[in-house]
Amino acid sequence: MSAILSADDLNDFISPGVACIKPIETLPAQSETPINPYEVTTEDQVAASVPPPPAQISLTDCLACSGCVTSAEAVLVTLQSHTEVLSTLDAHPSLRAPWDARNDTQNGTSNGMNGHDESEGKLFVASVSPQARASLAAVFSISEAEAGNMIAQLLSGDLGLRNGGAHGSDFTWVIDTNVTREACLVAAADEVTNALSPEASKSPSEPGSEGAIDTTPKKPILTSACPGWICYAEKTHPYILPYISRLKSPQALTGTLIKSVLSRRYNIPPSQVWHVAIMPCFDKKLEASRSELTSSAWSDDNDASSQDPVRDVDCVITARELLQLASARGINFASLPRSALTESQRTPFPDPKLDTFLFPPARRANQNPVAGSSGGYLYHILRTYQARHPGSSITVSRGRNADVVEYSLVQGSTTIFKTARYYGFRNIQNLVRALKPAKISRLTGAKPGGVSRRPPGRGGAGGGPTDIKEYAYVEVMACPGGCTNGGGQVKVSEVQDVRVAEGLVSAEEAAAAPATKPGPKEQKAWLARVDEAYYSGSEDDSVDGDGDYKMQDSGVENGANGVVVQEDVVNGISKRYIGDVMGHWSEITGVDTQTLLYTSYRKVESDVGKKQNDVERVVALSSSVGGGW
Amino acid sequence: MATSQKTHSHVLQPLATLSPPSNSRTWQTAPHPSQPIVATACSDRSVRVYSLTSFTLLHPITGGHKRSVRSVGWKPGTRGQSVLATGSFDASAGIWRRREDGGDPQDFTHHGAKRGGEEDDDDDDDDEYQFACILDGHESEIKSLAWSPSGQYLATCSRDKSVWIWEELEDDNFETVAVLQEHDGDVKCVNWHPEEDLLVSASYDDTVRLYKEDSDDWVQVAAIDGHKMTVWWAEFEGAGMSSKDWRKETKDLDEKQRNYIEALERSGPRLATCSDDCSVRIWRRKPRERQDAANSGIPSIIRSAAIDEEWFQEAVLPQGHSRAIYSVSWSQKTGLLVSAGSDGKIVVYRERWKTTESGAHGDQETLSEWEVVAEFWEAHGVYEINHVTWATRRDKGVRWEGEEVIVSTGDDGEVKVWTLNEQSGNS
Repeated sequence: MSAILSADDLNDFISPGVACIKPIETLPAQSETPINPYEVTTEDQVAASVPPPPAQISLTDCLACSGCVTSAEAVLVTLQSHTEVLSTLDAHPSLRAPWDARNDTQNGTSNGMNGHDESEGKLFVASVSPQARASLAAVFSISEAEAGNMIAQLLSGDLGLRNGGAHGSDFTWVIDTNVTREACLVAAADEVTNALSPEASKSPSEPGSEGAIDTTPKKPILTSACPGWICYAEKTHPYILPYISRLKSPQALTGTLIKSVLSRRYNIPPSQVWHVAIMPCFDKKLEASRSELTSSAWSDDNDASSQDPVRDVDCVITARELLQLASARGINFASLPRSALTESQRTPFPDPKLDTFLFPPARRANQNPVAGSSGGYLYHILRTYQARHPGSSITVSRGRNADVVEYSLVQGSTTIFKTARYYGFRNIQNLVRALKPAKISRLTGAKPGGVSRRPPGRGGAGGGPTDIKEYAYVEVMACPGGCTNGGGQVKVSEVQDVRVAEGLVSAEEAAAAPATKPGPKEQKAWLARVDEAYYSGSEDDSVDGDGDYKMQDSGVENGANGVVVQEDVVNGISKRYIGDVMGHWSEITGVDTQTLLYTSYRKVESDVGKKQNDVERVVALSSSVGGGW
Repeated sequence: MATSQKTHSHVLQPLATLSPPSNSRTWQTAPHPSQPIVATACSDRSVRVYSLTSFTLLHPITGGHKRSVRSVGWKPGTRGQSVLATGSFDASAGIWRRREDGGDPQDFTHHGAKRGGEEDDDDDDDDEYQFACILDGHESEIKSLAWSPSGQYLATCSRDKSVWIWEELEDDNFETVAVLQEHDGDVKCVNWHPEEDLLVSASYDDTVRLYKEDSDDWVQVAAIDGHKMTVWWAEFEGAGMSSKDWRKETKDLDEKQRNYIEALERSGPRLATCSDDCSVRIWRRKPRERQDAANSGIPSIIRSAAIDEEWFQEAVLPQGHSRAIYSVSWSQKTGLLVSAGSDGKIVVYRERWKTTESGAHGDQETLSEWEVVAEFWEAHGVYEINHVTWATRRDKGVRWEGEEVIVSTGDDGEVKVWTLNEQSGNS
């Protein structure tokens, strides 16, 4: 994280929010200031007395501080925005197939790099999440597949970005994160299986190693794909870290896959690959800036010493920002072709096996509504366990609100496996409280006695309250309604403006419509349309992709349809195939799969805020500035 | 000081100062819903429970919070025990219980198992307030908390700009049911409507917001944007006040006035707010018009009307303060209002029928007006008054059934009790 900070000289342009308490930390040093015995000091007096020295705030401070997360977010939004994408495209010509250039110098000149220093060129890669496509699909009243095609047309089609900019640069690959998500789902099921195995429970993790990459998460295992949730857990509930799945998100996995293979197999340095992810969520920008998700995690130590770590995902933009990107280049998104790019327009990934994986002949489907709008981790794990227990069935019961759902795998009268979905901040509160160790949930120093029992967690409404610790897995997402309702999606209040801007609706029509501020009801209705677009993806398999592309044999062996199929293919995802691809990836890069697939978390340490052991100092500070009135 | 005091119909007279006072700033005092006691939030991290009969300290509640206790609230409707919620600058809220005589003892059987208390080992635990559980989740200082009238919900608000609603599913098992982040600034105060699960919050962002539950989700149903500066307090009028306050004498009223009373009743209890802008304002809900549609048996999924409410400003009280007003309180018995704040002054207001027929005849014409009936300068010397409220008078000098006193809480650490007396020679 500090890499970007130093690179961009963050301290010069960050302006702390009103709530930022970092500057006043220097107060005790200024002992001249008389301490008002009555704790009554107006804000004016404090401000007027001694001008505080310039605030030195690092992004880590901001992420750790309670008052001012928005400053950090503002910085990250600025660092990763559509203008950043445009300026990078303008600054670098696109490398089309640099591995050819490396292997065959004569080809180098035919790659459109005449007159350019090779080091200036970049290989532009985009990965697109299905939720972002669903948001655009709902705005333009098209299918999610069509939205995906339009995005591909914009990023690498003839009518797209290549028609503008200093070098006519555009994207070599547009990857659907659904393909890497399938790898995540298989790995997630493996991780849960492994963590629940008797061996894992026998080896307690060493103190201090909580959240490390080589530790096994504790039960209940909590989803790690949501960066908002991870950031919150690291900042405010470090005791949660041992429970969090070590698995990388589809966004991060895509980044690692592209950059590690190109770097280690094809000698294209990670700095020469520029990877943008189009996501439903602003917090994905936070995730992309994690120091754990850089080339330093998978490059050799010897190599790494010669170059700075490079992020696996260089930039994250939202669907809304993608539209701004198009309009900044004078491209009307709505008028882009809705058909897929043809095979001839496509640059294959240099490794054929990974090419088939990344650009599968059949479009990877989204999941059905029961899997949820956030990738379907829980559902896949549940189906994996179900496959191992023939005759078992899944029961679903709704919790106290729509964002709490309990899923159980039952066989006869026995419950084999219990999982739950907890979406939204309020439900996360109830989850983290139930997982809080008993000793620190006490008010320290309070009189003993009173109540000694722990508030149990509550699950399904039907079967009575369930202790949260009974769950094997909990799919946690920060947004109510899941990822289709992410913060970066086109909001219900913006839809009309976007439609006007894209020429779908004339300004007069928009003005004629009653200008009522959309309320919660409209918000729900809009979210339902986005969800519909998201789930509709599975029905559109046949309409996209072009003919001869589909003729290719898929990597998924149909021959596996035999005795093994029950265990192997779950939800249309073949565990064996994914395992094969992951093994291949590990083989050609020489990096073990654990390093490639998993990551680590850490308690965000900071001297800002309300750390337990800093309480005294905070009390002293607060009383010297008026008790925080 | 105060040489130019106008003569008002009433005078405030100091009855007692609760003793001993705290030697640090006191923030807020909550009268118990049934017992003759009050709880005072103190910046020395404690809560002081005083008797309103003897005006002396009964119980100091200490050892729980790490910073100032900013707000306290008694859970209504408890039987056999008193339940107190404390909101602190340490970002947590605490729940405390004490068995009351003649009550069900079963909720208090857990002590004695483990004695981990470092500081004191009082023998008489039964008589003490026992810490029951902690509610954390807020990121920074809790500024205010309030129990819903049924006791089902507890609302807390914080400098972190959020309002949280907790539901007590069973004793000491609280669940977060809502995290409302509508405000753009420090949230100063939360309070509940006396008859509905309608929550109000007031903030540093100068707005007042109202929330209701819509199927599973608590959502904002109204935003009030009238104060020019920080809104420090928002409090609803009591339930069914039209039979208790200035409206109860209906004999000599004309039809317009009767219609007006009826309209007020349709609106339900009003809302009083006070602000840094030195004003106290009264807000009223626009009554729902299409009552039939709401009850037509249409399934709730296609609820026709939004649950949004419209609140409009009904009155601005005569200006009695020269600096920020921190607190305003309705009497549940008489409908009188009392306010206090940074200028150290306590002001009591009364509503009455307008005497002169003036102005237009709009739909929402206000036929009543507010007058100041009593003022007291420097009620806590040179110190600010952080909170003021009404309480039933419980000492021996009580003059009539249901007599009320005013309880003021100051920066000087003192909690003072005042009586409101009619000015002699002034009908």
